[in-house]
Amino acid sequence: MANERNGFLPIKTNTFDRIFISVVLFIAISLFWMRFVEAYAPLWVAVLLSAVLGQWIIRKG
Amino acid sequence: MRNSTTGWLLIAPTLFILFITGFVPFIYVLVVSFFDWNTFAQNPEPTFTGADNFRELVFDKAFLKSIWLTLKFTAFVLISQLVIGLFLARMLLRNVPLKGLFRTIHTLPLMIAPIAVGATWRLLTVPGLGPIPHYLKSWFGIDYILSRFPDQAFATVVIMDIWHWTPLVTLTLMAGLSNLPEEPLEQARIDGASEWRIFWDITLAFLKPVLLTTIFIRLMDALRTVDEVWMLTGGGPGAETRFIGLHIWRVVFPKTDYGYGSAMSLITLYLTIVMCWLLYVAMTGMKENKA
Repeated sequence: MANERNGFLPIKTNTFDRIFISVVLFIAISLFWMRFVEAYAPLWVAVLLSAVLGQWIIRKG
Repeated sequence: MRNSTTGWLLIAPTLFILFITGFVPFIYVLVVSFFDWNTFAQNPEPTFTGADNFRELVFDKAFLKSIWLTLKFTAFVLISQLVIGLFLARMLLRNVPLKGLFRTIHTLPLMIAPIAVGATWRLLTVPGLGPIPHYLKSWFGIDYILSRFPDQAFATVVIMDIWHWTPLVTLTLMAGLSNLPEEPLEQARIDGASEWRIFWDITLAFLKPVLLTTIFIRLMDALRTVDEVWMLTGGGPGAETRFIGLHIWRVVFPKTDYGYGSAMSLITLYLTIVMCWLLYVAMTGMKENKA
């Protein structure tokens, strides 16, 4: 496929793939946070974490 | 760029219909999932509650159980249908006697509406009326009562789904198998490869796109199974066959809890998309295979 590249992810990805992976991880992290971590740290920490992770995946993934 | 413009103009009506019937409802459900909206509640108006529906969902034991049951059901039916479907497809492509008749009979369940399949299987399994409990009791001494034994109910639902949908898998795999190129198979036979080796390394490799499509279709279908199970067991005994579709239906319709039901639908959609994507990545290859 056009614009595919090799990053640190184990598959070749284009921009859409990396955005998709970031969104999937954002939802997974948020749900995990609400279930296990929210009693100790608020949800916005998870959102921040996901945003940083998403940025990293989109740029270097 | 005239060709491109003409192309876009030609697919514009389809895109418009897809947008209206697919994208707009999705956005609506997404918005509703952030509201507390229950028409039977003291305040029947939608009230914005942020992520509270999702917060409640991750602790909802009934919801988590229905997700687990659905995944278990999906794994059982998908693997069984692929194995049986592939075996039958290979068999039906050979010159076996009465294969035309068998193919017709085998394909019949596909033409029956799921609700009718559920009704048929209910008649087959009603204690005191259906032949299955009668013969299981008289031949093997087994008490077969769907409304009492959860394992029997689950197994019957799985067998019913396999009976209903294996023909689809058989037909798609037959189409894939009959279009395989002959040359690599002949070359492998001349080189002395065993039938098992040829099947594993050549047939399955060439069949991968068809397999992937079949798995996607069946995976998505199995995850949203409602009507057959509703007709056969009603989700029971207890909640032992209450798959996610049935669970969402109970929350959205009898309880009219639209916000919570929307949140559950979105989580189900999320799981479906993630599972399909993981399967796609696993089957189309990691980096080493693509390079």
